[in-house]
Amino acid sequence: MNDKKNNNVHRKGRSIFLLTVLFRPRAVFEDLAQSEPSPYRVFFKFLVWFALLPPLFAYLGGRRDGWYLGAANPLVLSESELRQVSLLYFLVLLVAFVSTAFVSRWMSETYDARRPLGVHMAMVAILAAPVTFGSAIHLYPHVFINLLVLIPALIWAMYLLYAGLPVALGISPERGMLMASSLVGWLLVAFVTLLGITVALWANGLGPSIGA
Amino acid sequence: MTAKPMDDGAVYYHDSVVRFLVMCSLVWTVLGMSAGVYVAAEMIWPEINFDQPWLSFGRLRALHTNAVIFGFGVSALMATGFYSVQRTCHIPLPTPRLAWTTAIAWQLVILTGGLSLLAGINAGKEYAELEWPFDIVIAVVWILFGIVFFATIARRRIKQIYVSNWFYGGLIIVVAMIHVVNSLAMPATLFKSYSIYAGAQDAIVQWWYGHNAVGFLLTGGFLGMLYYFLPKHADRPIWSYKLSVVAFWAFTYSYIWAGPHHLHFNAIPDWVQNLAVVMSVILLAPSWATMINGIMTVSGAWRKLRTDPALKFIVLSLAFYGLATFEGPMMAIKSVNAVSHFTDWTIGHVHSGALGWNALIVFGTYYFLAPRLVGAKLYSVRLANVHFWLALAGTMIYILAMWGAGVSQGLLWLSLDEFGEPSFSFKDIMASMPPYYLLRLVGGVIFLTGAVLMIFNLYMTMKGRETLRIRPPEVGSVQEPT
Repeated sequence: MNDKKNNNVHRKGRSIFLLTVLFRPRAVFEDLAQSEPSPYRVFFKFLVWFALLPPLFAYLGGRRDGWYLGAANPLVLSESELRQVSLLYFLVLLVAFVSTAFVSRWMSETYDARRPLGVHMAMVAILAAPVTFGSAIHLYPHVFINLLVLIPALIWAMYLLYAGLPVALGISPERGMLMASSLVGWLLVAFVTLLGITVALWANGLGPSIGA
Repeated sequence: MTAKPMDDGAVYYHDSVVRFLVMCSLVWTVLGMSAGVYVAAEMIWPEINFDQPWLSFGRLRALHTNAVIFGFGVSALMATGFYSVQRTCHIPLPTPRLAWTTAIAWQLVILTGGLSLLAGINAGKEYAELEWPFDIVIAVVWILFGIVFFATIARRRIKQIYVSNWFYGGLIIVVAMIHVVNSLAMPATLFKSYSIYAGAQDAIVQWWYGHNAVGFLLTGGFLGMLYYFLPKHADRPIWSYKLSVVAFWAFTYSYIWAGPHHLHFNAIPDWVQNLAVVMSVILLAPSWATMINGIMTVSGAWRKLRTDPALKFIVLSLAFYGLATFEGPMMAIKSVNAVSHFTDWTIGHVHSGALGWNALIVFGTYYFLAPRLVGAKLYSVRLANVHFWLALAGTMIYILAMWGAGVSQGLLWLSLDEFGEPSFSFKDIMASMPPYYLLRLVGGVIFLTGAVLMIFNLYMTMKGRETLRIRPPEVGSVQEPT
């Protein structure tokens, strides 16, 4: 039994590693449905790296070109400001991933899906994958171009959420649809909160200078 | 006037007027959203106004907002209000002719009003652009709407007034009040008047109107729709009836103060602005109480999703309702408003509510209502499912594009050079926006395509079929007869 479980964990890990998640997501969700990965393992093997990639890309792109918000001149941040922003970006992503996994486990009780935290963490990792890989576009730090790549990535992630959640948690598609919509509500609110906190801090002079 | 028995001596609900209003609101859906798509395209290619004044942004934008809010939105509210008040009171509308008069007069005033906007007749108040003759007719028609609605409530056969009726009632009373007060004006000619308010007072009255139109029409009225149709869809009672009533009164009390948050950093007293911030933040509690009530009601009814494609629209509308009612109070906070005000972030916020909440809940309601009005199955469940994904994708693309554009605009406008002057001119910032507007246009076209699919689906469902004649059920002792 344990061997089988370990084997499944291993298979799941291999699936993500091989980017199957991008091309054959259903298989990954089916694997996940059969396995109980340890939350620590998912965290250190996937989530930390997924949280690290976008800030790294943003740092490299920002240092080379500065961020184009739309005007002719880019917003060039100093090396220390860029490091500070990138570090915060990393921490925010980590908190976002982990909190979404906890929220998902909390919500799942309403929908009779009693799977361990590790499964929710792995699900978050699978959903985050398209956006994380899409964030390579941060290397070209133009806000609009970034939106152009990240919007389809986000919509794909939402599709994965609706299609994969009931499979991974072993609940009916109908219940999965309800829970997925609740999670979309949480993600939208979490995102807009972050946006609000960021601009409020920025408008109050905390964070990098947006002057010339 | 009382409900007259039909030829067979029995009493039936008056649903033909509901059907008429549903059809009218579908026509306004296409007209209003097409106008929106066209003005979105004009933001990228201004030359497509072809130097025709009636095709210019200034005129078409007002037509867009009036057609979607008052044409599509209010017609849907009248339709669902008439439908639900009969069923929650267990009597047909006691004044059916007045209901028909209200329904037809409303369509005529929006149609002629829309044409007047195209002709350049505009009172210059946002969401209250129609000139004084239209304002008077609107007030009269609205009072007729109130008479039809409250006469039904007054003659109800059940003691309790169900919560959806509180929201519809709140919509009728508050919109009458804000419309009359904000529209008070001195006519100069037949199509030109001057507001009786001036300067800062005018601005405060205008946004007291504007925000409460959002509050009691686009939020409260549609919550009435939610509270009737969601339990009907789910086939189970609302999760917490007590919570719904508490939320209604808390919502009504706190919303009415929040208007001045549209006027932050303007020449109105600071305390008025701060009070608006506090009340806006408090407003989150009753707004979310309703969202939780809705989610918990539907969560126990998941089996219905197998047979009812409409329910998923309502479920998703609750997610966007949660977003919009959270984002609004957040944008009312002054530090956030300093960045978001006068940017496209506001447009994105409005559309997360208008597309994600208002339109989706109406779509979900119509997929439920139309087949029941004619006693038929929905023409195509598959088309409805395609519509669901188009609506979700269109809304997401729209609001993400506007978040990107709006936050960029806000930050660039706040950016100062070493002399303390703005680093970027307004013109330069706006000149860099077309790519975002193109993305918004794509989102709008996708959303409109979905709406057209729905209209085709509903048309095929109702085509050639008579409106069902349904008798009110007997009132049992458990329902506490009046």
